[in-house]
Amino acid sequence: MKNVVKFGHSEAAAIAIVFVGVKAFLGYPRVVIELGSTAAWLVVLISGMVGIGAWLVISALLARFPGKSIMVITELVLGPFLGIGVNIIFFLYVMITNGILLRQFSEAIILTTLPEAPISSLTFLFIIPVWLAAYLGIEAISRSAYISLPFITAGVTAVLLALYPYWNPLMLLPLLGEGIFPTVKYGFLSSTVFGEIFILAVLAPFFAFTQKKLKNVGLFSLGFVMVFFILIVNVYLMVFPLPVATENLLPFYQLARTIYLGRYFQRVEAVFVLFWTFTAFLRLSLGIIVAAFILQDAFKLPYYRPLLPALCVLAFSLALTPADVMQNAFIEYKIRLIYGWLFSLALPCGIWAVALLRRKGEGHEGENT
Amino acid sequence: MPKESKQKKAQQGPSGVWGRVWAVAKDTLTFKAEKQREGFILLGVDDRPLSEKKKDGANQENTGGKSGQDEDKKNGNREGTRSTKKPIRVQRVSPSNSRKPQEDKKDFSTETLLVDPQLKINKKNLEEIYSLPKNKDIVIREFTIALKPPIKAFVVFMEGLADKNVINNTVLKPLMILSNMEEKVTILELAEYIKDHILPGNQVEVLAEYKQIVERVNFGMTAVFIDGSPKCLVVETKGWDKRPIGKTETEQVIRGPLEAFNETLRSNTALIRKLVRNEKLITEMFKVGERNKSDVAIMYLEDVASPVLVEEVKRRITSIKTDIVAESGSLEQFIEDHPFMPSPQILNTERPDRVASFLVEGKVAILVDGSPQVLVVPVTIFSLLHSAEDYYLRMPYGNFLRFLRVAAIFITIMTPSIYLAIETFHQEMIPTDLILVMAAARETVPFPTIMEVFMMEFAFELIREAGVRVPGVIGNTLGIVGALILGQAAVQAGIVSPILIIVVAVTGLASFAIPNYSMSFAFRGVRFIFTILAGIFGFFGVSAGLFILLTTIAGMKSFGVPLLAPIGPRTKAGPDLVIRGSVWSMEQRPDETDTLDRQRQPKISRGWVKPKKRGERK
Repeated sequence: MKNVVKFGHSEAAAIAIVFVGVKAFLGYPRVVIELGSTAAWLVVLISGMVGIGAWLVISALLARFPGKSIMVITELVLGPFLGIGVNIIFFLYVMITNGILLRQFSEAIILTTLPEAPISSLTFLFIIPVWLAAYLGIEAISRSAYISLPFITAGVTAVLLALYPYWNPLMLLPLLGEGIFPTVKYGFLSSTVFGEIFILAVLAPFFAFTQKKLKNVGLFSLGFVMVFFILIVNVYLMVFPLPVATENLLPFYQLARTIYLGRYFQRVEAVFVLFWTFTAFLRLSLGIIVAAFILQDAFKLPYYRPLLPALCVLAFSLALTPADVMQNAFIEYKIRLIYGWLFSLALPCGIWAVALLRRKGEGHEGENT
Repeated sequence: MPKESKQKKAQQGPSGVWGRVWAVAKDTLTFKAEKQREGFILLGVDDRPLSEKKKDGANQENTGGKSGQDEDKKNGNREGTRSTKKPIRVQRVSPSNSRKPQEDKKDFSTETLLVDPQLKINKKNLEEIYSLPKNKDIVIREFTIALKPPIKAFVVFMEGLADKNVINNTVLKPLMILSNMEEKVTILELAEYIKDHILPGNQVEVLAEYKQIVERVNFGMTAVFIDGSPKCLVVETKGWDKRPIGKTETEQVIRGPLEAFNETLRSNTALIRKLVRNEKLITEMFKVGERNKSDVAIMYLEDVASPVLVEEVKRRITSIKTDIVAESGSLEQFIEDHPFMPSPQILNTERPDRVASFLVEGKVAILVDGSPQVLVVPVTIFSLLHSAEDYYLRMPYGNFLRFLRVAAIFITIMTPSIYLAIETFHQEMIPTDLILVMAAARETVPFPTIMEVFMMEFAFELIREAGVRVPGVIGNTLGIVGALILGQAAVQAGIVSPILIIVVAVTGLASFAIPNYSMSFAFRGVRFIFTILAGIFGFFGVSAGLFILLTTIAGMKSFGVPLLAPIGPRTKAGPDLVIRGSVWSMEQRPDETDTLDRQRQPKISRGWVKPKKRGERK
């Protein structure tokens, strides 16, 4: 990517946290409870550890090719034909995720605030600011993410703390849920949620810091998100009994709804909508711009901006493809959550293994890039 | 030996056989470099375009037979010798003239015109330049300089722009009365001699190009044309009526200096220089505008401001090609980075103390003649939201004002939209008692809330605009009539709900609390977009609006500095963003301006606490 845009580690961490963590506002806490019941926090922890391990491998791959994006590295390691093929797989994965998330967010708006609005109008209102932000560039989005992240974090923390009167730690028992085996199994399978750290590998050429710092940024972001996921899942479990907890379509929204701290501080979910829709906008613009960057690098295009309208239309169409909210939830939680890690984590790790075997990389034997 | 007498001697040449040889050879051997034309031209050879020759012929015909020998007689030997020195009397050479000889008069340009030694020609040139006698602002006063022998001269000045007393005392009186002495110099050196010995004016220039002379006369200076001299004296006699330095009107403070800039550039530079008494404070001047040639000055501290920034400011200003730059507001639009974005990217202020503090921070001030507002670049959104008083008050009070202002910004942008969103879509947020009150108040209102909000907001903006346009005394009355009576009547008529009146009033008040006028405009405009979004999509629309607002501002720059620096992008931030630290804790200049000298003050700036701390540590 030929560009002069650079940003620092704070913006990089903010991007990664928003990109990975946005699922906390959707159905993820419920799904993880379905998978791990009362040991859901352990599932998150195991997924997080798998994510961290994969990130260490990805950052080792990035360190072999300093300043190059994963798309360029793929092509250097696997050759032009296979490289383009793998890059297209990355692109499709990112675009499908964008479509699913766009639909989920639009459905969430219907569920929370605008029950009578047609889904296409909401998707449309999502996609227009997303296109605008992607057009303004990664610099503007990264700064917005960095500026808004403290407010989002404070909002989430406030919701969790405001539920203190409803906390019942006994509901976290039994600690190991349905047993160690299913917990570990689902922990590994649902590591897809942390697979989106992949974004740092796509944006690697934009970072104005060293590879070592990039590794630390990834570790910090994963750790930060993991802690918040565990807190949210645990508070959710402590507030709602297990059977009820598996029923809510939007657990965090339900948590915000439950708050009652006197007559004048109750049902703050509408204010909370401000926070999570803002995060959704950030996540979707990042998704679109990442897809554009993948295409730009895969096909060596000089600009990415002309791709944006097409990508937005594509995301819009993909979002409206599932017949209903349940079908969309099925695709997300039964397919993407279980198999997504193959694309976002396993594939980059495979590229690393090939680079190791073929001795590719700067300062290593073989082709100097 | 003076240069001119050498030339004279060279031109006369030797006599006899050698004289003939010389006569043949001089035109081929001697040449004179002339900057006004391309290449070299031979002495005495009239190689001007045909059109000009024709024009000269026509001029001579017009003046009749007098023009030649009669003038020689009148002016003595000087004229006789000059007739052999044709190239000294350089006229305009313009390709357009050669193409369109019939439009000569209309296209009379001063670009390449030089002062002629003949007074008459100079007067004719000036009459043509200033369309005399049609133009009544120009005064040409003919007189005789009391030298021996007396020399004819005239002065040209612009009525109203030049100070008549100064002209009488420093130009006419010395030349007509006090200069009665023997001429010890040649006519070619006369202008320099008069400048050095006779004219007591504090700024006198000797110029030969009409372009420069006319520029100065247009700006209140007085030009003295002397018969026989190819140079003109330009004496500084500016003295038009100007507004004295008054009180600040739009950036008022309770604590702090009260003087404001006025419309005179030089007064404004002096006001700044009075505060920043530093030899490294540089003032550079530029001319902008093809027609009015406004003076634009930039001021910066040479050892603090980033040279890259200064160069960029100069590059942008000098690149402007326009008719007229009448005010700093016009210049701002020519040099700003994002003309279509709501937020301003250049700070304008009428306070010299604010400009001084920005200069010390390494920023560049841009002053436009005729404008009481000075521009400062680069700025961040934080400096646009600060006021001068924040710094003069003690830290806790200053911070209190800052918090108040942050609240005001959010109220300005979001109150109507949040009211609309809650009222229309999210009624569950309102406690039951309150919602009953609101419902009761709205019971008789026949319009949907969005229409109600728009009507009242529009009415408020109307009152504000009308209040600015109508004369001062009525303005206040209009505000009271508009706000109180109209609001009250609207509620009583059941057209709007009383709660909405409160919302609109609070929003309006908050918008007045934003110190920067442009920024206030930006927020007021954005408020309407937020209201529309909230009316259609509730909080989701507000959130979309916030996202677009933040992202666009995050992508904006002011002269290369991100508008949200130092938080977007994150750089080293001093203790002066939203919350202000104590003045003694502001040790470094802002990081984003990339100053040559980062350190503003040492780590321990309060010298008196230093020994005590050390003692304690020991």
